[in-house]
Amino acid sequence: MKGLIDLRRLGQYAAAAAAAVTLNFLLPRLMPGNPLVLIAGVDVGLLTPEQRAEIIARVGLDAPLWQQYLRYWADIFTGDFGYSFRASRPIVDMIRDRLPWTLLITGLSLAISAVAGVILGAVSAWRRGSKTDLGMLSGMIALEALPPFWLGMLFISIVSVQWGLLPSFGAVTPASGLVGWEHIEDILRHAVLPVATLSILSVPGVYLTMRYSMLETLGEDYIRTARAKGAGEGRVLFGHVARNAISPVITVLAIRLGFAFGGTVIIETVFSYPGLGRLVFEAVSGRDYPVMQAAFLVFTVAVLAANLAADLLYPLVDPRARTS
Amino acid sequence: MTSKAAAGRAGRRRRRGRTSDVLGICGVVTVGLLLIMAVFAPWLAPYDPSERVGRPFQPPGREHLLGTNDVGQDLLSEMIYGSRVSLVVGIAAAAAALLIGTAVGVLAGYYPRRLGAFLMRGVDVVLILPFLPLLIVLAAYLGRSLLNTTLVIGALIWAGPARIIRSQVLSLRSREYVLAARSMGAPDRWTIFRHVVPRTALLATGSFVRAVAGAILLEASLSFLGLGDPIQKSWGSVLFWAQARGAFLTPAWKWWVLPPGLLIMAASLGFALIAFSLEERINPRL
Repeated sequence: MKGLIDLRRLGQYAAAAAAAVTLNFLLPRLMPGNPLVLIAGVDVGLLTPEQRAEIIARVGLDAPLWQQYLRYWADIFTGDFGYSFRASRPIVDMIRDRLPWTLLITGLSLAISAVAGVILGAVSAWRRGSKTDLGMLSGMIALEALPPFWLGMLFISIVSVQWGLLPSFGAVTPASGLVGWEHIEDILRHAVLPVATLSILSVPGVYLTMRYSMLETLGEDYIRTARAKGAGEGRVLFGHVARNAISPVITVLAIRLGFAFGGTVIIETVFSYPGLGRLVFEAVSGRDYPVMQAAFLVFTVAVLAANLAADLLYPLVDPRARTS
Repeated sequence: MTSKAAAGRAGRRRRRGRTSDVLGICGVVTVGLLLIMAVFAPWLAPYDPSERVGRPFQPPGREHLLGTNDVGQDLLSEMIYGSRVSLVVGIAAAAAALLIGTAVGVLAGYYPRRLGAFLMRGVDVVLILPFLPLLIVLAAYLGRSLLNTTLVIGALIWAGPARIIRSQVLSLRSREYVLAARSMGAPDRWTIFRHVVPRTALLATGSFVRAVAGAILLEASLSFLGLGDPIQKSWGSVLFWAQARGAFLTPAWKWWVLPPGLLIMAASLGFALIAFSLEERINPRL
């Protein structure tokens, strides 16, 4: 009997988290250049010598490397991500402001691409070899080659500027004073284009997994049995094939989330959307290294959490996984 | 099974095979044209892309077929020279990834117990970390140069190929000729290079071409975020400047935003189509 969760998988997630933290710790200390700048951001150049000495003491830059490493871990466990001298704010506050927006657009786009990918993949596999199938397959391969930022820029040029339909930047209309339902509508209108871009980018991954999984399932004996006993096409497709083929999609969705987060760095930059991804871009262009590192850690934790959730969900959706 | 159904299925399979061949040829033609563009760039481009040859923000005209950018450089020449960066970085990064991926995959497959288990844990970690943020963090620390872009991309995309090659090696390992070679006392190194590595070549070619398609997109993304080589402008960096100067908010998007994106897509799609058609041959069931 297997436990609620596979211990080996848990160890794998712990290793990934440790790798991310260690990488964050080592990169600024091993790279050529002034480690203080690489740790605290380029704006430390504007500080007084006393302030700089204080940072060096706080991070422990004068201590041996292993002591610095332990201190780094201790800071992370106490939720201390450091201070952004560029923004003059604690980094935790910056992340708290930005994270909800990113969760909003990634959540919506993941849901949309899951539904679209599963339906299209099912239809495509059901009519494998047909013109519909080959057309969809080629379309998805083409979508995978689409540069994400370019798609976003085209959306802005055409939908926002030429047609004037939707806002082209930000998450809310600034200083609009909208409240209640109108405020929600404003947020949704701003989210349409970023969500559409992210969804279009995520659909091919879901589609290809669903299609492949369906093709595997179609060859199973119980499908032949269902057909032989005279079940209708619709019943075989939805009751037998799609139902059994859907479980790998859950794992893929967790992986897609990692890609979607990466995608937000680009999409939020194009749409000037005030999320965590845009924060990464701002930190990179402003050489505000600690902010960039903290955002990377948050992305890592979110992806690992999503994978954990997928592991827990999988046996609920697919009873076969419970017994093995 | 009626003969009509069987004939229908055979027809479908033929159509599928034909389609994948046609797609593969499309890919080869696209990649071939882009390669010609990259190799003969100095003869094809009307101007030096780094020179200021006209008034800034010019729309397309007889002298500048795609207009000029914000400092008066010829956009068409930038497009033509940009193919060099895209293809060189894409192919070099994929080659680096394949080298690491094959080494890890072969070792992990041939010594599946301790070394293999250890290596595959590493592969799992690389695969699970959020990819693009990690890429950006590494690129930001390493600094902006073509070599760094190539290295960073190569260092992050090897895990997928490693997994594919490992599973192939695992099955090769128990084939008779490998067992025969080993039982006759052939050293591991000889067996690996004589019997195992050559038989992963087909699979490795497929993953290499697919990796090029991905690496081209990644290079474009990094350049778009302003992390590309500041001297060698790629299609992605052209879009970075188009974005920074707000070209997509003006009619200039038609000649400043549209062409570089189409070229990035053509390059990535060309390689993806070749990969698709190769994979179809290796494993026709999919």
